[in-house]
Amino acid sequence: MSKSFYTKLAFNNIKKNLKNYIPYILTCVGTIMMFYNMCYLTNAKDLGNVSDSATLRYLLFLGTIITGIFAVIFLFYTNSFLIKQRKKEFGLFNILGMEKRHIAKIMFLETLFISIISLAVGILGGIVLSKLMALLLFKLINFNVVFGFEISINAVVITIGLFSAIFIVNLVYNILQIHMSNPIELLRGGNVGEKEPKTKYLSAVVGVISLGIGYYLALTTKSPLEALTNFFVAVMFVILGTYNLFNAGSIALLKYLRKNKNYYYKTNHFISVSGMIYRMKQNAAGLANICILSTAVIVTLSTTVSLYVGMEDVLRTRYPSNIIVSGSDISDIEAEKIEGIINEQTTKANFHKENIDRLRDISFLTLQDDANFILMNEENYSNKNGAILEFMTLDDYNQMENKNASLEKEEVLVYELHGKIIGDTISLNDYELNIKERLSSFKYEDNGSVLSNSYFIVVDSLEGIQQVYKALEVEKDMPELSFYYGFDVDADSETQINLTTSLRNAVNNLDLGLRVEGAEISRTEFYTLYGGLFFLGLFIGLLFIMATVLIIYYKQIAEGFDDKDRFEIMQKVGMSHTEIKKSIHSQVLTVFFLPLVTAIIHIAFAFNIITKMLSIFNLSNISLFAICTAVTILVFAFFYAIVYSLTARTYYKIVS
Amino acid sequence: MSLLEVKNLKKIYNTRFSGTPVQALSNVSFTVEKGEYIAIMGESGSGKTTLLNILAALDKPTKGDVQLNGKSILSINEKEISSFRRDNLGFVFQDFNLLDTFSIQDNIFLPLVLMGKTYEEMSNRLNPIAKSLEIVDILMKFPYEVSGGQKQRTAIARALITEPQLILADEPTGALDSRASEGLLKIFSQINQEGQTILMVTHSTKAASNAKRVLFIRDGEVFHQLYKASNSNYEMYQKISDTLTMIATGGARDE
Repeated sequence: MSKSFYTKLAFNNIKKNLKNYIPYILTCVGTIMMFYNMCYLTNAKDLGNVSDSATLRYLLFLGTIITGIFAVIFLFYTNSFLIKQRKKEFGLFNILGMEKRHIAKIMFLETLFISIISLAVGILGGIVLSKLMALLLFKLINFNVVFGFEISINAVVITIGLFSAIFIVNLVYNILQIHMSNPIELLRGGNVGEKEPKTKYLSAVVGVISLGIGYYLALTTKSPLEALTNFFVAVMFVILGTYNLFNAGSIALLKYLRKNKNYYYKTNHFISVSGMIYRMKQNAAGLANICILSTAVIVTLSTTVSLYVGMEDVLRTRYPSNIIVSGSDISDIEAEKIEGIINEQTTKANFHKENIDRLRDISFLTLQDDANFILMNEENYSNKNGAILEFMTLDDYNQMENKNASLEKEEVLVYELHGKIIGDTISLNDYELNIKERLSSFKYEDNGSVLSNSYFIVVDSLEGIQQVYKALEVEKDMPELSFYYGFDVDADSETQINLTTSLRNAVNNLDLGLRVEGAEISRTEFYTLYGGLFFLGLFIGLLFIMATVLIIYYKQIAEGFDDKDRFEIMQKVGMSHTEIKKSIHSQVLTVFFLPLVTAIIHIAFAFNIITKMLSIFNLSNISLFAICTAVTILVFAFFYAIVYSLTARTYYKIVS
Repeated sequence: MSLLEVKNLKKIYNTRFSGTPVQALSNVSFTVEKGEYIAIMGESGSGKTTLLNILAALDKPTKGDVQLNGKSILSINEKEISSFRRDNLGFVFQDFNLLDTFSIQDNIFLPLVLMGKTYEEMSNRLNPIAKSLEIVDILMKFPYEVSGGQKQRTAIARALITEPQLILADEPTGALDSRASEGLLKIFSQINQEGQTILMVTHSTKAASNAKRVLFIRDGEVFHQLYKASNSNYEMYQKISDTLTMIATGGARDE
């Protein structure tokens, strides 16, 4: 047989299977484009000009890795689906006298065509898109630089390498599949007499329990740092639970429905319930995949979007004042000096200070047991019983709040920012303080920690604080109080940055280890980080959506071919077109929207823990996150519905 | 009045690719009385399947009419055709057409569920049928777990359970071995004796020899017919064979 014969045959095979191959090639092109872009951005030279380029590069590098892993899994999945569909065809070749090595040759040529087409289109498309991607990224991180068009040879090489490897592995897998089966098996291909799945009670129970644990963890997590560790554990449990539930739970439920004779023997339920029992075995994993991918898309997008949208909020939370000078172990004299410098600098620049926040206090990281506090030995902020105590003097308090409160010795005012102190006395080892009043508001609550329990305590005098120190620290000498001075100025961003810088220089001369920060001066860093995260979220969200769409599409096609015969029979037995359509509709709808509904339930349970995690990123605006989540879900559901109607149409076409 | 009246059926297919129309039926007329057991024989391409499809209201003739109990089935509109089919006709197919997703029992119930019957009624109707067809033991099994003969008996049960006016069978023994075939033919004779009208399309001389009347179709026309009357199965077999030989060798046009 001549060489061109094989080439022709391979080419025709692809053409004949376009319904399966077009989505496959599109997937390949899509993943290649995305991978190239991630690679390109990680390596892009222009990125060097961004102020916090290391963080950004790290984020992008993470994105490259995720995209890469994803590409591998994803292309394996689609390939295994394809080869299953085509086994019959290869069996026919085999029976018609083609040896397996000839088939292997054809498969090799097919793979070659497809990989060349995908790589060429993917990389070219990627290069075209890369400029757009870079623009988007720079726009998101608020980085205004015009830059040239760049093709990253590095990225091209890595992309070609990775995807060639994937294609080769897929080819080897396919050849092995054909090699290990005999022609009769090949001819039978997909439809080997499927048995009804058994009810796996153990699996169902495991599913319910692990989902329960996951949800419980998500709901009961109180502190943000706890959330960080719990989140991944909860995610693992929920994933495990989802797989088990889709696998076993769905079958158990459907079988239960079947036992209920009054429900089961109704035209609609009869056909859809039995159909779903039959197909759950092979589809449960696919549905669970779709569910988890959907959840991932919604979580990624809603969190990154809300971080990005809420950036101003976050900046304000992180920097309650425009300009902040702070330090620890500052004596009264030093404090006066610093204030002098601040006044001098602002006057020199001709600014009027507004909303001055001045705070002198000392703080301890302690372990709380009701109203008893002892010093924490190590700095473990994620300890559930950890509490931060901040002490200040009555004088400072009165001055700050413009009040005229009075306190006896060993009497205190308490403001509970996070957590509760039960009872009327606070015990610090043996030292006891009586709570005179619980404050309902506190001007400087912004300065407290949101990560763990945190209390502001006002004592009568500096001696009072010294007593506290002695009680808690026992042996050490007390340092001076810490110093915090924040104020707003009415000036534009650039002037604020200039003022912050000059103030920083002036204060640094004192050599007291003081920090001078400002919202404006940090804004670029925030944009780089949160913009980068947002970009990554968008990117990965898009990737997951692509995967979801493809899995759904392939599932529909596979089911369509399966169902074709069944519906033909039903028609012969006396089922009308409308009844068939109705039953298909209810079945497809259930199968389709079950994962989405489950995903939304997951999100609802995850809401608490995610808000806690976001507070680590200084985002405390829960309603903003709620809105972002709702919008993301709506947008996602909208796309999902579009995909549904498109694939449902393909399905109808195959069935009827 | 006859149960089924077929008048001058003509069917011409216009295939999409070749321009020449193909005539499947040219002029078929016959009547079926209540309680009859009729076999229709003919070679491949003689128009048997086309005829059966028209009788089953799955296809429409180019010309002619089919009347069931004096009512033309061609006048039934698209919406009612499915319910007409399941209310009046029972089908037995060569390849059983059972659904793998249903247990044997549920396969039999399928038309009744479509009719909206309650479980109790379905179960009451099933009991005697299952007993006489000897499928009581396999009711909870699935089609892929039972033999071909059992599958075909399931299909018959599904056809009988709606108490149809007429059972249409398309090569019912086609996919069965000789023993299962014999069993099936016995069942057909038995249900016919109980009053069920049966119309069977078949290739098999043996199957046809069980029927009370055999129609031969050639080139889209009823070419000949044989009545069994008091003949034994064996004598009928001989007669059918002779007729087939005659048709095949292009013998005289009538007896």
